[in-house]
Formats: sequence, structure tokens, C-alpha cells
Amino acid sequence: MSKVLLEAKDLKKSFSTAAGSLDVLRSINLTVNEGESVSIRGLSGSGKTTLLQLLGGLEAPDAGEVLIDLKSQGLVSPHLHLGHGVGFVFQNFQLMPELNTLENVMLAAKILGTPDAEFKARTLIESVGLGSRLNHYPSQLSGGECQRVAIARALINDPTIVLADEPTGNLDEATGQQIINLLLGIVAKKQMALILVTHSREFAERTQRQLLLTKGVLSPG
Amino acid sequence: MLWFLQIALRQLFQPGKRFPAFAIVSILGVALGVAALLVVQTVMNGFGEEHRLRIRESFGDCVVLTRTTITNPAELVKKLRKDDEVLNAAAFTEGPALSRHGQFSGVAFVRGIDLTVKEQPARPYIAAGSFDDLDDGRVILGYGLAKTLRVNIGDKIELWSPAMAELAEKGQAPLPAELEVCGIVRTGFTEVDDRAAIIPIRRFRELWAMGSQAHGITLRFKNPNDAPAIAARLNVGSPEMHFVPWQEIKKNFLEAIRFEKTMLFFLMFIITLVASFSIGSTLFSAVIRRTREVGVLVSMGARRWQIVALFGIQGLMIGLLGTLLGFALTGSILAARENILTIINKIFGDGDMVANVYQFSKVPLHYDSSDFIVAAGFTLLVTTLAGLVPAIWAASRKPSEAMRHV
Repeated sequence: MSKVLLEAKDLKKSFSTAAGSLDVLRSINLTVNEGESVSIRGLSGSGKTTLLQLLGGLEAPDAGEVLIDLKSQGLVSPHLHLGHGVGFVFQNFQLMPELNTLENVMLAAKILGTPDAEFKARTLIESVGLGSRLNHYPSQLSGGECQRVAIARALINDPTIVLADEPTGNLDEATGQQIINLLLGIVAKKQMALILVTHSREFAERTQRQLLLTKGVLSPG
Repeated sequence: MLWFLQIALRQLFQPGKRFPAFAIVSILGVALGVAALLVVQTVMNGFGEEHRLRIRESFGDCVVLTRTTITNPAELVKKLRKDDEVLNAAAFTEGPALSRHGQFSGVAFVRGIDLTVKEQPARPYIAAGSFDDLDDGRVILGYGLAKTLRVNIGDKIELWSPAMAELAEKGQAPLPAELEVCGIVRTGFTEVDDRAAIIPIRRFRELWAMGSQAHGITLRFKNPNDAPAIAARLNVGSPEMHFVPWQEIKKNFLEAIRFEKTMLFFLMFIITLVASFSIGSTLFSAVIRRTREVGVLVSMGARRWQIVALFGIQGLMIGLLGTLLGFALTGSILAARENILTIINKIFGDGDMVANVYQFSKVPLHYDSSDFIVAAGFTLLVTTLAGLVPAIWAASRKPSEAMRHV
């Protein structure tokens, strides 16, 4: 039986707006096992990104808790280990424009003091097919190439789980397909868990489990 | 290299960009502020030093005075010369007299000097003739007095001392002393230049009928800057005498120069402050533009202090490079100061103000390392703070909020 890697218990999150309190997440319960890929779909504004941020420790829930298995040392709150164990892939790539491909990937390792950063970065860049673009800056790369760099960056610290927030949202269909193939291929190969937030039913169906976020609650989709 | 240092340097000097406008304009702004501050300070120091030198050379490092005349000046001079700190001592006499040349006359303040002592006050400021030509039949006049009497080198003037007036009161008819002008001095001090008449002390005593007495003694010290301490020490045990160091002779004047320098420092510092505020606002807009990147860095595990350092370093770098460029600019401006002054004089048609007003052959300079240290310290502090304020703001934002920022 697979080991539980991520567990979200009764997560609640609301935001204050001019019109009053907006309950975005009402009661989220989610368990993700080691090596499992899960997709979350939902309408725009349904709280998918907020959920991902709660799971990744970028945002604190109003109630409930998120537990992540970090390096098999038991379940630990992700807020204490931001960056460790969790790799983020964003819709807009979010690369540093002043750094080239190699430096962008190395950056995530440098921040956490991961050893052999350059060797790991070069290997990962090769594996995402950008070996010839090491010294190119984001402005010199296509959208698909930028997202490949972002994937390499998310993987350099050997995370146990990758949180991908609409990684194909800014890409054309064919490039999006390539990115999804790449992402699913790598996480399967490295036995990482993946939570993929997407609008695309087609991409969602390629994950092992599909969920739908509606009115602040997750349901099988 | 530390990652935040690498990004800070890249954000300042973006690779592939030929003209990093933000960095260059900010650094230039700081450099101009620093240069303005230091040029003014160095020239003011120069004027101060020049004036201090003139005071010493016109009046001596220290003047010894008594309530009456010094009855045995030779013995006192001998005693003072034995002191380790004293380079030289010379007795002098002084007093007012009436001077005349043809139809022109004026009150002269006559000083009798010891010709055996070469280093005499006002000697370096001989504008015409020669100090060495002075003898019992000759006189050296101040520039203003020579002008009043309409005399040149070689002309003869008549001098009436108070002793002659006393003789006249007794019914005698003394003849005035006839002296040939052998030199004209111009110290830059109006009170000296407009009244001074220098003659040998032997001749003075004769004209004033004062035997071997003297009115005072001028001293030269090995270290003139220590004059107040040396004067105080020499004064111990001689309460009837008053040792006046050169710093006291023109105290108000020196205080005015110092105050002027301090005021100018604050005025010029405002320029640096304005430059730093512009850096602060530019860095603020840069930080806002990069808010999403801040969120991403935090999502990768960056600590708050590292985000603060990332932007704080940019302010520090601008301050550091601006200060260094400001130093270089200061050196260049000061090296070309005469040419700059010539251009200014030409534009405003004021003639050579430095020579006419201050009697300096060129704009005086005095580099004071403490001015440079203070300017660098203030500039680095202000520019770093200008970078830190937006940096702290950026680091205090929640990563999720930062990443939503458009």
C-alpha cells in the first residue's frame, strides 16, 4: 500500500471583500499518496490557486491543517519547510528575467543550499530538452521553453510533490500537450506526487485521479 | 556568489543591456551630490588653510605682550629661544606715526623689526621691492598705505613719531625721518595692508626715543598648530605677560570660516539627500514591478532577510559606486578649477576675483580625509536606507499576495 504523502484536513479559507466575507474554500479534505498524480479542475475564481497555495504553504488556512511527508521524517507542516519537499510550477513560468536558463534552475537549489547545484541543474535541463539553451535568458526563449525551465527549477531540490498551477494556461495546445507529457513523464519516473490544477479536461484525464472544485468543496470529477 | 547578491547585481546591470539607465542615472545622481559636497568642502578648507597661514605669516605663531613695554627684551628673547618648541623669537616695537609724501599723508602703524631675524611676519607677502633692502634709511609699506601716499619703490616719505610731537611741544623743531620705500607688502588683511610701515627696530627706538625696550615678541614654533598649548605652557610663571597664539589673534575670523564651512556642508548634503530620495523612489517602483518575483523567491524558500538584502544591496551598490565616482569627479573638478574659474570669470565678467578679493594666486585647496570619510559614510547610509525601505515592504508581503500582483 502506498504511503500518504500529503494530507489536507478540513481546510477553510475566506477573503474579506468590499461586499463582505467570501468563503473560497469551505471544507477541503484531500489525501495524496506517494507517486500519485491528481488533477483539480474548476471554474475561474473557484479557489484552485488558493487551494494550491494552502497545500504548498504559501498561504495559511483559516481553519484545518496541511501535512506533508518530508523526506520520510513524518508529517510536517509545509509552512516550516517552504521550498523543501514541494516544487512549484506556475502558469506564468515566473522565471527571473535577469538569469539565464542554467542560473534560473540553479537558483532554487542555491536558495536552499542544495549541494551539486550546477551538476543537477545541467542534468535536469538536459532532461527537459534544453541542453542547447543553457545560456539563454527567458526573453530569448519561447513560452514552452520557459515552462520547461520552470519544471526543471521545480524539480532541482528533489521534491516529493510537485504543485502545478495551470502550467499550460499560457501555451498553445500542441506546446501544452508537450509540457503535460514532460511533467507527467518526469514525476512518474522520479516517483513524485503531482497535483495539477488545470482547466483542460483532456489534461486532467491523464492524471490518476481527477477532482472538481465547486463551491469550495472537492468532489470526484 | 550568494544568490541574492547575484540577482541584485544583475538587476542593476542587466546582461545584454548596453545602457542600464536606472543604475547609471542613480549612480550619477549620487556622484554629483558627493562631488558637490567635497568640492565645496575642499575649497573651503583651502581658503581656511590659506587664511590661517596668512595669519601666522602676518602676525607670527604667537605674540608676547605685556601691560607696558618689555624693559629687557634681549634677555627674554634669549630665554624663549632655549625652549624646545620655539624655532625663533624676535622683539618688535610698534606705534602710530604720521606719514607724508608730498601733498598726501596718512596714519601709519609703524613696526620695528629685528633685521637679524630672517623669518619676519609679512615677509612672504612682499608684492614689490625686497625685504632684504630694509635698513635704517628705508621703509617697507603696506599696499594700501603706499596707495594712499601715492608712492612706488624708490620714493621717499616723511615720518613723524609721537616723540617728535613731544619735542615740538617743548619748543624744539624736530625734523621728520626721511625714509626711502624699498618694499611693498600685501598680506590680504586690510588692517595690515592699509596701515603698515616696517622699519628696523633700532631706527624705531631712535625715532620713538625708547632706549632698548620693546613692545612685544613674536615667536615661531616648530608645530604652529600646537600654539595654544605651547603659549599656555610658556605663560606659566609669567603672569605679567600675555602669550597670544595665532588662533586667538583672529579668532572671530577663523570662527566665521569654520561656521561657513559647516553651513555649506549641510547645504550640500541636502543635494546628496535629494539624490538618495530619487534612488529610493526608483527602487520602490522597481520593487513594485518585481513583486511577483519576490513571491516566487519566497515560494522557493527564500528568507525575508534575503529579500531585504536583495534590494538593500542595490541601494548600497548605487551608494558605493556613486561615492567612488563622486571622489573621482571631485579630483577632476578640482584639478581643472583654474580653467573652470576662468570660464566663470569670462561669463560673468568679474575679472580675477580670487586674486583681486583674496590676493590668492590660485584657488586654494586642502584635502581633508575626514571630509571624504564623512561624505562616504553619510551617502552610503542614506542610499542603503533608500533601498532598504522598499525592500522591507517587499519582504513583508505574503508570497500568495505578491504572486497575485500584476
